[in-house]
Amino acid sequence: MIRPLLVALLQVRIYLQDKGDLAFSLLLPIAIFALTYGAFGGQTLFHGTAHVVNEDQGGDYSARLIQRLEEVDNLDVDLLSASKADAKLDRADLLMVLYIPVGFSDRLASGEQVQLVFKQRGNGGDEGQIVASIVGSVVDRMAQEFQVQGQVNEYLSGSGISQEQIDITVQRLLEGERESPAVMVKEETVGDSPDPVNEFLPGIITMFVLFAITLTARALVEERKKGTLERLLTTRLSVGQLFTGKFLVNLSRGFIQTLILLLLSYAVFQMFTPLSFVESLIIAIIFIAAVSALGLIIGSVARTEDQATWIAVFFTMAMVMLGGTFFEIPESGVLSVLSKMSINTYANDAFRTIIVDGGTLADIGLQMGVMAGVAVVGLVLGRAIFKVMPGGR
Amino acid sequence: MSQAFMIAQDLHKSFNEHKAVDGVSFTIDKGEIFGLLGPNGAGKTTTIRMLSTVLEPDSGDVTIGGYSIRHNADAVRSIIGVCPQELALYEELSAIDNLVFFGRMAGLGSREARDQAMAHLELLGLKERARGRVDKFSGGMKRRVNLAVSLMGHPELLFMDEPTVGIDPQSRNNIYETIEGLQSKGMTILYTTHYMEEADRLCDRVAIVDGGRVIAMDTPRELRSQIGSPEKVTLEDVFLHLTGRSLRD
Repeated sequence: MIRPLLVALLQVRIYLQDKGDLAFSLLLPIAIFALTYGAFGGQTLFHGTAHVVNEDQGGDYSARLIQRLEEVDNLDVDLLSASKADAKLDRADLLMVLYIPVGFSDRLASGEQVQLVFKQRGNGGDEGQIVASIVGSVVDRMAQEFQVQGQVNEYLSGSGISQEQIDITVQRLLEGERESPAVMVKEETVGDSPDPVNEFLPGIITMFVLFAITLTARALVEERKKGTLERLLTTRLSVGQLFTGKFLVNLSRGFIQTLILLLLSYAVFQMFTPLSFVESLIIAIIFIAAVSALGLIIGSVARTEDQATWIAVFFTMAMVMLGGTFFEIPESGVLSVLSKMSINTYANDAFRTIIVDGGTLADIGLQMGVMAGVAVVGLVLGRAIFKVMPGGR
Repeated sequence: MSQAFMIAQDLHKSFNEHKAVDGVSFTIDKGEIFGLLGPNGAGKTTTIRMLSTVLEPDSGDVTIGGYSIRHNADAVRSIIGVCPQELALYEELSAIDNLVFFGRMAGLGSREARDQAMAHLELLGLKERARGRVDKFSGGMKRRVNLAVSLMGHPELLFMDEPTVGIDPQSRNNIYETIEGLQSKGMTILYTTHYMEEADRLCDRVAIVDGGRVIAMDTPRELRSQIGSPEKVTLEDVFLHLTGRSLRD
């Protein structure tokens, strides 16, 4: 047993020599976590930006419209010049822009019908459509208020009440209506909202672990390229011991990286209980073992580092796509059958059972069994392939 | 009567349709330095890879110290050392770390591996640089580390595949002296080289191989005498006489 450990320790020492490699491998899980946090960790309510071109410079009503838009929760207002907005639309940097035309306020004051213009690329995008809807409701309300103001003015004209007093009174009433409308909408939340972190983190962990397959595959090929593999094969080290050593070092590296990722998730998203955290680590170890064994198969087949990398990348992408990482796999059909061939399917199921459904290890016996089986079969198969390939023994 | 320590019998090895080794047989006596000479592609390295248990012969067998490479490869590995043609070192690590690691792989304990490593590094003039990273070493120093690694575990038979390629005269001379010293301590050595004067100086007997076959085998002096006066003819003359002057791939 000492020789596999020495092989693993040697690999660790080489690994520690390359500070860049070491920093990268430790920072990678942190970077993955940061991306996850950036994507899912912020507020999940809508927050958009209304891009506005105000060509009615100095106009009273256009200023009021912009002010009212700025008062809307979850909406920022971005004022642009017409040329800049057009250029951004041309480049598709923006998908929808609101244009307030020249003379908007004057024409409104004189009782003419006025038009706001939305310029958009295609359908304006999801955010653009929501922003347009919010702007539309603000404009509708302003139009109604304008009509109320006009009708009151018309009704009270000649009554002897000053115009200023009429305006102040009507504005006060309308403000009161805005603050305490006659018809209110109440939101009632039923159950928890679906948490995207819970939904996606298992897939992200499994995808991340699977990336290590490339490193495992390359480890054997690099050893072959250096000539040290052949030299090792003339010593008393057996191929089984060599494989065990490589397997152990990849298991350790994968475990440390996954531990960092899970600890960050635990600390920031509070998505684990202490028990589910430990259970997730156990799943991670077995999954990393399976992945390392698969990496050794690829390393036994590949003759060059490029071959190892490309086989591993192809394999990784296939497993990730079929494993339901980014989209839910239907329960029947060809995709469902194919997904059963992806090790990620079992790992994702296991993680989701523990993290999302609150299950225990007893609920994921099948998934754990499959992953452990892949680890054992992978090691045996890798050894057998190594023997029959040129330069093996 | 001398005692054959290694016996290679009718070795064959083909890669696809190409016969790399085609019926090679020879013996090496205990304590002998045996040269395996031949042009590029003659089958020298394939022969060494079979003798050192890396490649399995298609047919034929080899016994080393009484152990068959087919039936008792692990025992064979315990008594051989290999100094490969290409540097086979972990260049990110120090010289002593390389030696200790391969020593442990050869079955040495931690202390013993360290003691042997220091002794071999001293033998090859590298004691002062024992803790230096190999990738910072010159080509000659790397070659010497490569040789030092192959001595770990005190092998009884050492395979040396062109150990002096591309190094300065000082390092080459150091390697010659080391080899002669090893022989004086009873080590058996199989040596391949393209430098004929090297083979002439070091080898007790040489075999010249070409096309995967042994085409001549004798002491350097006897081989020289076959084509002229041994004092005037060089081993290179013999080599060119036997293998021709056409260029090889």
